Amino acid sequence: MATSAQLRLMSDLKAIINEPPEGCSASPLSDDNLFVWSATIFGPDETPWEGGVFSLRLTFGNNYPEKPPRVRFTSEIFHPNVYHDGTLCMDIIQDAWSPCHNVSTILTSVQSLLTDPNPASPANPEAAQLYQHDIQAYNKRVRRCARHSIESS
Amino acid sequence: MQNQEGLQADGEVDSATSAPSTQFDDWANFADNDIMQQQSSIQAEEAEKIPFEPLSSLAAEYQSGSTILLEKIKVLSEQYAAIRRTRGDGNCFFRSFMFSYLEHILETQDRAEVDRIKANVEQCRKTLQSLGYTDFTFEDFFALFLEQMESVLQGNEDSISHDELILRSRDQSVSDYVVMFFRFVTSGEIQKRSEFFEPFIMGLTNATVEQFCKSSVEPMGEESDHVHITAISDALGVPIRVVYLDRSSCDTGGVSVNHHDFIPADSDLPSASGSKTISPFITLLYRPGHYDILYPK
Repeated sequence: MATSAQLRLMSDLKAIINEPPEGCSASPLSDDNLFVWSATIFGPDETPWEGGVFSLRLTFGNNYPEKPPRVRFTSEIFHPNVYHDGTLCMDIIQDAWSPCHNVSTILTSVQSLLTDPNPASPANPEAAQLYQHDIQAYNKRVRRCARHSIESS
Repeated sequence: MQNQEGLQADGEVDSATSAPSTQFDDWANFADNDIMQQQSSIQAEEAEKIPFEPLSSLAAEYQSGSTILLEKIKVLSEQYAAIRRTRGDGNCFFRSFMFSYLEHILETQDRAEVDRIKANVEQCRKTLQSLGYTDFTFEDFFALFLEQMESVLQGNEDSISHDELILRSRDQSVSDYVVMFFRFVTSGEIQKRSEFFEPFIMGLTNATVEQFCKSSVEPMGEESDHVHITAISDALGVPIRVVYLDRSSCDTGGVSVNHHDFIPADSDLPSASGSKTISPFITLLYRPGHYDILYPK
């Protein structure tokens, strides 16, 4: 019998297939495990992230949607709120989680985090430093990161 | 049980014998996970104890404390017989409200009230839909609440007793779902009437109404304030009395205990016609930072 988490994940999947958010896609990694998803986010146009294609991994627990999934970039990424291992520091998948979020809203939030970092809670001090004090150097690093994301995939 | 499973699952990941799906996991994640796990095991332990006590136990608690509080508890004990303590995890208002409401229905078997609340719940569902919430993100929580309400009505196959209601309310999977239902309802009501709530929210934080709902209403564990109580009382049309036990005192001598009645805005309660004599059947005791349930004599 399907658990409530599985039923909910199927709804998430149906929703993202029927109404895919712009610039994001996601699906379970394999047909027989609904709990691990891979996702792709395109760097928003007219930003230094443009052209980049970034992969993520979403891992859901049995207590989804009561608890958020674990979300991490599997692409290398240079961003004030992303740790070196790819995990994100983002309120809606941590303290501010609520079941009204779903895979689509998580991904669109990650996407807007790309261009709108929160330097107050840095996960990557170097990126936060550059973002605040040398935006040109920061943008250059981001463009390099975006290029790198399509070369390595 | 759940915790044990969680631990085992992590143990697997830890010894790197796991499925390929976890190849990207590492210690940075485990730290957070371990904390969350410990937290939930503490919560599970605490959930075991939601005692129902005579009001004298409250006095015992403050015996060596402030005399104002002891005086106030004396005043309280003239009107109230008992207190039921709720878990202090930021959801105490909603949990108190849930139990108190379901207990009331169980005791009165008031089917008219159940029908009335169902109509309001339906209205809340429409509010959320019109605000752009995706149905599947909230329908499970709505369904679970309606199910609880049906089950306290006697005479059905799956009717439950008072003891069973206590057990269910302590079951985190039930209790948390109902809390989430209330959080959705509260958030929907605040956003629907954002012009009304905006000045109150601005008094509390710098956030916009929507930000406030996303950060202080919808997430579990966010404490409830006047804004939340007003919103849920209005949305469901259920009056709530909150009795305040704090150290404030009046200069005029004699100690009195303040209370505030939250009376639904456009009240469709039968007794609302004519004089303002609605007496809330839900009474909560507020001590700074926490809500418990009070039982009148």
